[in-house]
Amino acid sequence: MVETFYEVMRRQGITRRSFLKYCSLTAASLGLGPAFVPRIAHAMETKPRTPVLWLHGLECTCCSESFIRSAHPLAKDAVLSMISLDYDDTIMTAAGHQAEAILDEVMTKYKGNYILAVEGNPPLNQDGMSCIIGGKPFVDQLKRVAKDCKAIISWGSCASWGCVQAAKPNPTQATPVHKVITDKPIIKVPGCPPIAEVMTAVITYMLTFDRLPELDRQGRPKMFYGQRIHDKCYRRPHFDAGQFAEAWDDDGARRGYCLYKMGCKGPTTYNACSTVRWNDGVSFPIQSGHGCIGCSEDGFWDKGGFYERVTGIKQFGIEANADKIGGVAVGVVGAAVVAHAAVSAIKQSRRQQGDASEQNK
Amino acid sequence: MTAYETQGFKLDNSGKRVVVDPVTRIEGHMRVEVNLDSNNVIRNAVSTGTMWRGLEVILKGRDPRDAWAFTERICGVCTGTHALTSVRAVEDALDIKIPENANSIRNIMQLTLQAHDHLVHFYHLHALDWVDVVSALKADPKRTSEIAQSISSWPLSSPGYFRDVQNRLKKFVESGQLGPFMNGYWGNPAYKLPPEVNLLAVTHYLEALDFQKDIVKIHTIYGGKNPHPNWLVGGVPCAINIDEVGAVGAVNMERLNLVSSIIDRTIDFIDNVYIPDLLAIAGFYKSWTYGGGLSSKSVLSYGDIPDKANDHSAGNLLLPRGAIINGDLSKVHEVDLRDPEQIQEFVAHSWFKYPDEKKGLHPWDGITEPHYELGKNAKGSKTNIEQIDESGKYSWIKSPRWRGHAMEVGPLARYIIGYVQKNPEFKEPVDKVLKDLGLPLQALFSTLGRTAARGLEASWAAHKMRYFQDKLMANLKAGDLSTANIDKWEPSSWPKETKGVGFTEAPRGALAHWVRIKDGKIDNYQCVVPTTWNGSPRDTKGQIGAFEASLMNTPLAKADQPLEILRTLHSFDPCLACSTH
Amino acid sequence: MLSAQDMQEAVAHGRQVRAVYVYEAPLRLWHWVNALAITVLAMTGYFIGSPPPSQPGEASASFLFGYIRFAHFAAGYVLLAGFIGRVYWAFVGNEHSRQLFKLPVFDSAWWKEAAFELRWYLFLERHPKKYVGHNPLAQFTMFLLFFLPLLFMIVTGFALYGEGAQAGSWASMLFTSWVVPMFGQSQDVHTWHHLGMWAIVVFVMVHVYAAIREDIMSRQSMVSTMLSGWRMFKDDKP
Ligand code: HEM
Ligand code: HEM
Ligand code: NFV
Ligand code: SF4
Ligand code: SF4
Ligand code: F3S
Ligand SMILES: [Mg+2]
Repeated sequence: MVETFYEVMRRQGITRRSFLKYCSLTAASLGLGPAFVPRIAHAMETKPRTPVLWLHGLECTCCSESFIRSAHPLAKDAVLSMISLDYDDTIMTAAGHQAEAILDEVMTKYKGNYILAVEGNPPLNQDGMSCIIGGKPFVDQLKRVAKDCKAIISWGSCASWGCVQAAKPNPTQATPVHKVITDKPIIKVPGCPPIAEVMTAVITYMLTFDRLPELDRQGRPKMFYGQRIHDKCYRRPHFDAGQFAEAWDDDGARRGYCLYKMGCKGPTTYNACSTVRWNDGVSFPIQSGHGCIGCSEDGFWDKGGFYERVTGIKQFGIEANADKIGGVAVGVVGAAVVAHAAVSAIKQSRRQQGDASEQNK
Repeated sequence: MTAYETQGFKLDNSGKRVVVDPVTRIEGHMRVEVNLDSNNVIRNAVSTGTMWRGLEVILKGRDPRDAWAFTERICGVCTGTHALTSVRAVEDALDIKIPENANSIRNIMQLTLQAHDHLVHFYHLHALDWVDVVSALKADPKRTSEIAQSISSWPLSSPGYFRDVQNRLKKFVESGQLGPFMNGYWGNPAYKLPPEVNLLAVTHYLEALDFQKDIVKIHTIYGGKNPHPNWLVGGVPCAINIDEVGAVGAVNMERLNLVSSIIDRTIDFIDNVYIPDLLAIAGFYKSWTYGGGLSSKSVLSYGDIPDKANDHSAGNLLLPRGAIINGDLSKVHEVDLRDPEQIQEFVAHSWFKYPDEKKGLHPWDGITEPHYELGKNAKGSKTNIEQIDESGKYSWIKSPRWRGHAMEVGPLARYIIGYVQKNPEFKEPVDKVLKDLGLPLQALFSTLGRTAARGLEASWAAHKMRYFQDKLMANLKAGDLSTANIDKWEPSSWPKETKGVGFTEAPRGALAHWVRIKDGKIDNYQCVVPTTWNGSPRDTKGQIGAFEASLMNTPLAKADQPLEILRTLHSFDPCLACSTH
Repeated sequence: MLSAQDMQEAVAHGRQVRAVYVYEAPLRLWHWVNALAITVLAMTGYFIGSPPPSQPGEASASFLFGYIRFAHFAAGYVLLAGFIGRVYWAFVGNEHSRQLFKLPVFDSAWWKEAAFELRWYLFLERHPKKYVGHNPLAQFTMFLLFFLPLLFMIVTGFALYGEGAQAGSWASMLFTSWVVPMFGQSQDVHTWHHLGMWAIVVFVMVHVYAAIREDIMSRQSMVSTMLSGWRMFKDDKP
């Protein structure tokens, strides 16, 4: 017996009534009359679980690790009852050609109907062979599986932006998924890693509402990436009051003052940490005393030191930041102005003498 | 075709070549090729690390205080151990002493990782090499319940409980969508468990999946999140506040209680679910004695878990330290990570370039320069490898050697060294397991021994978490709240040039980072990682690494199903992202 | 540089013309309001980057950093309003009101004059020229070192402001939505906004110095022109 979408929803605590309501909403949104509601309901009741092919490129697997930390839904329920996780080299039983055969099977059987989830990213240097799957570059596998997928989920900062292996000088030319696949809808779920419940929420959203979540300009679900850590940080009153931890383990740190001066990137980081929090809501980086390092932002590795408020600008050399560059500019220009003023004063007095002598002639 | 002898193994690549790529249920990407003789026995093994990211290149020129965050992303499975290794390396270079509380908290975090990683490895990455999921459908839940109750006092063990799980499994299998269990090697004759034990294991596969997420909450409390909690050069970032205003914004009594209760539950789960399952399963595989590889010859451990802060000498480390070579168990050699003659990395068979590849380099002088090429006799093309040529370069993993020897690292190495050193914390549990299973000491040097040592270590780690949490509380009671030393936080206080080394015992074995700092920036950064040791390709002398050695002389029940290969490789818990970094 | 019309007038009136009405009242008002806003923005901006030492007591009893930021944003709005007014005035005001927005790079005479001014500042010319509006070098600096940076500061400033004002706010829709993705991420916008401050500070230093120096050394009034609007010439020579 096939476990259907309807059963999955029932398991999620959704009643038959709201299921039918959902079907009629779907019918309405598709521009179909009420006559179609039973048909949609029937389709839902017999629809198999959506196959998910989860590929791994250059990565650290912490996105998978994060995923299995999900508390609601439990990772177990997500994998056994909601989706059909047919390929994921980290947990699948089969290996070698038995594993590769699954890809072909699912790609043919569910053409256009499977979701491609990508953790990590493809490198393009070294002929693409700094990430090899089945003897071939990972980028080949990625392109092959992307061809007939319904949509792509880019898990984590690796797939979304490039992450640590793409930090300068990016020796493997690790490249985010959207720069390699350009003809499919891509949902970026950045973070290093993303929060477990955000990952499972994105998946359940897609299954429940049968559509992609609303994305922002950069392709992230608005519902979780629409606000900065700083906008909902519980230390914000200390920020507004001007109460900062000035050094590790100082009085301010012990009182839970704002970590702005310790380099917190909460003001520039879009993620749900300060609201959803981590590991079943236990804490998040700032609550445990370390500033946000901006792990869900594009290129966060190359934005200067993690402990600097006014961050370093590498292009201007070691130790440079906006204030230091500005300070030097002001110093140089200031000195030039003073020198210029001095010369001007001398010239002016000479000229006055000259004018005087001219008049005397 | 070549045949030669090394480290007591006869290598012969004349037989039928079998390729497994990708090797799954590991971290990262790996390929393995073996040659089988006419009896389907492995006579040559070649393991290839098939990914590389260049972290050592990326770290150059950066702020050493940031290095922990970069190296932590080497791996999300052994999350935190690279970060700890990194802050230790930087502290060593800058001569920074950390407070006692920071030492206790760091140890608790490292032990949390050990317990968590071992548990997840056993159930979710390794179990399916021993457990036939499909066979569990045939089990009698009542009988499973009896077995469960006979081996453990774990309360979730009623017939109804197992029946529910079995029904869910049934429904799942009948859906025709097998998900991660698709194309498994179900029914392979190498599976030896009766259906009832299979059902028990599958049930605990699911239970462990639910429970593991709670263990890591300890990282979340002290480090803000998991995976990838936060660390700090000079201590830990979480301030402690017990009495004062604002305590709710720091580690306070409630947080400490939460840690404490998770420790208790972790001990309970490991001792009453993991260990009994391990022994129950092992009981059916006693006659499968393969996979010992280098473990009976050369093993290495750096030691870890400093009891007192800032003392990294062997006497103060709760995990054993030392090297055994050539199978001589009577002598544990001292290990010095600073000695340029001891640890060296070779790249003769790795996709890297050295000016002189006959020589090895000590990591302080290490070079990481990628150079991808295939050996002359490789089959296929540069971007479509059909067969590796192990006489040429064939892996993204370097070949580390200790005084020229290929070494095995990991829980088994640690337990062997602890056993030989007659440390009761390691010797007694080993003796007990051997006695319970009715096996000789020699049985330790095997795939099964590796898997058993990991389980014992998970239990050891869980109990040590309790020890350090109590130690932390006692120190707080004595009035010491300090968690960070900021004397040398500012780069202006650093010497112009300096170098350091930091080490830990990661879940998969001995891990160290070597750093050179110049003008406040990283001048060179080199990591030699557990799976670099275990997964190393051959060296200039043709010596094979631990993975390759462990596969030697293993018979396959079915030549087209790599079940035994996976079983032995998984017993190392390979982490390829780590190995190549 | 005297415009054609000014020249004609001057010629027509012989050498009696010793004062020309250059800067109309709205422009002068803008100049000083703008100067004030920028002073406030630079000071508060600096503190946003490097906050003053922590405040004691309950968070609820203090709003120091909040006020600093509020002053910055308020001054930011004043700056924007003034800027809009100034642009409007460029359309309806006199000819000089348009100079700030123009860089006549295709006018060879303009380049010649600019070269002359450069020599004058490098002490290579003995006698300065007369100008009714900005001299070409001043115009050059005004455009590149002031007008463009100011525009940049407004755009990046309101892009940052839109982040706090949240998605859906006018600043977010008008600026944040495209500025942040264009820079890559918010942190880059901060860094460049911060650098922009120093560019403007450098401009102000040079500008104020030049204004006072010219007041003393050139052949026309300067500071008082920005107060009264009248350019006074110190001699009758051409
Ligand atoms: C933040 C500070 C200031 C800024 C941003 C600034 C900006 C400007 C700008 C943009 C103009 C051109 C006006 C136009 O063409 O519309 C101008 C003209 C002028 N400013 Fe300022 N100003 C500042 C402060 C001052 C101060 C403190 C003085 C007096 C000491 C001054 C004296 C002048 C004078 C004399 C002119 C007219 C120059 C001429 O006739 O060529 N400014 N200023
Ligand atoms: C001459 C004009 C301006 C100067 C010199 C200036 C200067 C600065 C500086 C130095 C910072 C600190 C940047 C950092 O290190 O993060 C800053 C931040 C900021 N500025 Fe400006 N700014 C100017 C105009 C504006 C305008 C027109 C706005 C619009 C409202 C604005 C809004 C902001 C905002 C929202 C921030 C970030 C505040 C925060 O993160 O709490 N600025 N500004
Ligand atoms: N090998 C390895 Fe690790 C471990 N344990 C790190 O050092 O796994 Ni990802
Ligand atoms: S995004 Fe970060 S956490 Fe996820 S795989 Fe990449 S490095 Fe690991
Ligand atoms: S701790 Fe960070 S995110 Fe929180 S208020 Fe301070 S700066 Fe903002
Ligand atoms: S570092 Fe990452 S986990 Fe959240 S608080 Fe910052 S985005
Ligand atoms: Mg290395």
